[in-house]
Amino acid sequence: MTERRLRRPSARKAVSADPEAVTGEVDPADVVAELAGDAAVELSEEIEEFEGVDQVSADASESGPSAGGWIARRGLIAIMVLGVIAAPLFYRGDAGQTKLTWMAIGLIYIIFGLSINVLVGYAGQISLGHQAFVGVGAFTSAYIVSVSHASFWVAFVLAGVSGAISAALLGFIALRLKGLFLALITLAYGTVAQFTLFNVSSLTGGGAGARAPRPAGFTSNMQFAYLCMAVTAALLYIDWRMVRSKVGRAIFAIRENELSAASFGINITAYKLLAFTVSGVFAGLGGSLFAHQQQLVQASSFDFTFALTLVLMVVVGGLGSRVGVLIGSTFFALFPLIFNAISLYTALIGAVALLLTLTRFQGGIAQQIAPILRWFGGGSLRKQRRSHVMQPGGEGVRP
Amino acid sequence: MKAFIVLGLIDGVVYGLLATGLVLVYKGARVFNFAQAEFGTVAAFLAYWMFEKQHMPYWLSDVLAVLLVGLLGFILERLIVRKLFNAPRVTMLVATAGIALALIQLEIIIGGANAVPLPPAIQGIGVSILGVIVTPQQILTFVALVGLGLAMGYFFSRTDLGLAVLATSQEPVATELVGIGTRKMSSFIWTMAAVLGGIGGVLIGAGGAIFPSFMTTSYLLGAFTAAVVGGIDSLPGAFVGGVVIGLTRDLGGYFLPKTIPGGPNLLVFAVLVLILLVRPQGLLGAKA
Amino acid sequence: MSVLDVTNLGIRFGGLEALAEVNLSVREWEIVGLIGPNGAGKTTFFNCVMGVYKPSTGSVSYRGTELIGLPTHHRVTMGIGRTFQNIGLVKVLPVIENMLIAQHAKTNYGVLSSFFGTPSVLEEERTLRRNALEILDFMGLAPYRNAVVASLPYGLQKLTEIAAVLASDPEFLMLDEPTSGMSPEEAHAFGELLVRLRKELNLTVLMIEHHVPLVVAVCDYVYCLNFGRLLAEGKPDEIRRHPEVVAAYLGEEHATA
Repeated sequence: MTERRLRRPSARKAVSADPEAVTGEVDPADVVAELAGDAAVELSEEIEEFEGVDQVSADASESGPSAGGWIARRGLIAIMVLGVIAAPLFYRGDAGQTKLTWMAIGLIYIIFGLSINVLVGYAGQISLGHQAFVGVGAFTSAYIVSVSHASFWVAFVLAGVSGAISAALLGFIALRLKGLFLALITLAYGTVAQFTLFNVSSLTGGGAGARAPRPAGFTSNMQFAYLCMAVTAALLYIDWRMVRSKVGRAIFAIRENELSAASFGINITAYKLLAFTVSGVFAGLGGSLFAHQQQLVQASSFDFTFALTLVLMVVVGGLGSRVGVLIGSTFFALFPLIFNAISLYTALIGAVALLLTLTRFQGGIAQQIAPILRWFGGGSLRKQRRSHVMQPGGEGVRP
Repeated sequence: MKAFIVLGLIDGVVYGLLATGLVLVYKGARVFNFAQAEFGTVAAFLAYWMFEKQHMPYWLSDVLAVLLVGLLGFILERLIVRKLFNAPRVTMLVATAGIALALIQLEIIIGGANAVPLPPAIQGIGVSILGVIVTPQQILTFVALVGLGLAMGYFFSRTDLGLAVLATSQEPVATELVGIGTRKMSSFIWTMAAVLGGIGGVLIGAGGAIFPSFMTTSYLLGAFTAAVVGGIDSLPGAFVGGVVIGLTRDLGGYFLPKTIPGGPNLLVFAVLVLILLVRPQGLLGAKA
Repeated sequence: MSVLDVTNLGIRFGGLEALAEVNLSVREWEIVGLIGPNGAGKTTFFNCVMGVYKPSTGSVSYRGTELIGLPTHHRVTMGIGRTFQNIGLVKVLPVIENMLIAQHAKTNYGVLSSFFGTPSVLEEERTLRRNALEILDFMGLAPYRNAVVASLPYGLQKLTEIAAVLASDPEFLMLDEPTSGMSPEEAHAFGELLVRLRKELNLTVLMIEHHVPLVVAVCDYVYCLNFGRLLAEGKPDEIRRHPEVVAAYLGEEHATA
């Protein structure tokens, strides 16, 4: 055994050796460390010698970037974020109005991306009918505002709730079905939503569509863009916190090793449904913003192409990676704007990009720019260990 | 109501045809081919272009269209399906959905988003069967597809190649050892599936208007349900399932109140959920 | 006093009777061994106790409470911890993340708070991390805390799994071949670790094992399964010399201890 210095358990502070105390309030780990001696340490040393591990395989002992390095990284991020926040103030005239519209749409697509990422990325499910949840949110919001004449905020919340319910319904089915059959059901679910649910004239205005006026105080494009920005930021925060909490860990554990997750006390049924519900909330809220952005919701928008666009923008961006979702979503939302082309080509490019991603570049765009992302996270630009890459429906590790 | 039964049977054989393609790919690659119906749309558009724009003979247009779509299936298998041999099945399924999307977009870009009429193969007034007017095109479709179904039945049970296809799906490793190449088999299966889809497209599209994605929009969900109802790994089941779904849909259209939009579709969805929850192996499939 | 009482356990899979008429009990603070040739039904037995399978007959009682019918995660919160033959961890995640997952059941904040990062959440996360590091430290795994489990050698993965199951604060440990892949020296060291853990944490252990010297050295009682049925039970020394047990293992490399 070479350089490693292990903290010898006996160096820790003394703890009562009374067995009664063990089952009381004392943390067993303390007791074990103090009293059990070096048994475990010896064991791991044995294993290392036997298997020839003589070097730490983790990055734990790496020092990370210097203070200056952190300032550079954080500073750059801050500048980019401030740039995005300030940009709407500088959009003037007609061209500015268009930019504001696209900005709002881009942000809304990011919300959709987060929604898909929770379900397909973290939970490992498949969703080819996701437009159903978005549409439910959109139509709910439109109806509540224009027919029930309630405030936008009520509509917004109810859109999230209705999105959650529509997703949870599918979640119940997903408890019994897996893989290909589930995928088929999600496709069918989306189709039924488009042709049946969204065509009930009394609720959705039938062919003409439902009106969804802008909320008071956010009627201009700039104001609405800022509203979208705020909501997107809030949902990004929620997604971030969820991942770093027991909920996020549980959902991911179920995806990767369901048996083992159950053995750690995770309620599989509850957390699977929770994943669908969270995904549905995001989709519904996004749907509400979508409706009020366009100010008109039509059933025809929620077709197979839309469903697949939602999935592919996340897969192409990089499944499971929040930055990937950001990139993929904005890219597909803004593609027509960037290339000044008819949105006709967007879906085609999207389909080709999807096929390329699935067959060759499995980590999506996020994997391609991984060195840059790593740098921002405090690592170095040079490639170190293999990062794990997610495929829809598959396990995390790709050799 | 008799009208709807007759229509149900005619629609049924179309669902049966598409379902056969789906079952074929499922047996060969253990995946659902979401592009199955779209092969039909492509074939219909190709036939339209050749007949209306290039003024080629109708029959030639149809045959060439189907062959070209077969070629398309062959190419897609080499380019995409091969790369995903060992990928999770859901990944492959998403890929087929991507293919469907790409095909739809290409149709829109090349052919325009509007519907165009594809004339029927046989002009003429319809005949009355059981009190309902059936066009010659519909009769042709029915007869052709029943004939095709019988031919496929013979192919898969009596010919060497057909039996080899079935063997591959049962036991891929063993069949390799015996000398049947899995790669060649994969090419064959996907080409054949594309051909079946193409045949469906030119037969069904004729006599009406075709628009980009029409086969997928109108028939894919029904075809899948038919395949599952018949038994996702049963080829004869596909035709049985097709007829069941055809009848369900059209009778549903008859019985369901018109106030429910897309009623027949909803009914098919209900059947799909029911069968997957209650008897996932379908009517003729083997219990897992 | 019995911690685990299994009576007349039986399970069929289609036509195959994987377990039949199995009676087994584990008393407080015992280390009980479960041995038998491959395919005897040992892991199936574990799965029945944990609720992964529903037995066709019999009952499984934990400290007097009937387990059959309870979902797996519920059984875990009652104090049972279980390891797997093929390593029950999320292999694509780092060791430390697995340690946090393992503490799921005792994580002290609600689902709703998880989405907002409230101070109680942050505080509890810090506590979980501290617990995790202490256990990793004790096991000598601290240097690997950020290593992805799949990148570790097999023996260390096994140790990590032990660390994880300990993190969940169990009273009753069910270990499925914890020393598979280990050398005799490692297995011996593991045995010592187990005995000390039992003493300091008041653990009761049921262990599926193939390392006969380990079983003899460490177990208080041993059950032997063959073809889904109990072949023999008794003290380790008796079992080791039991003619039928030896016969069952003939052909297995560990037949002669």
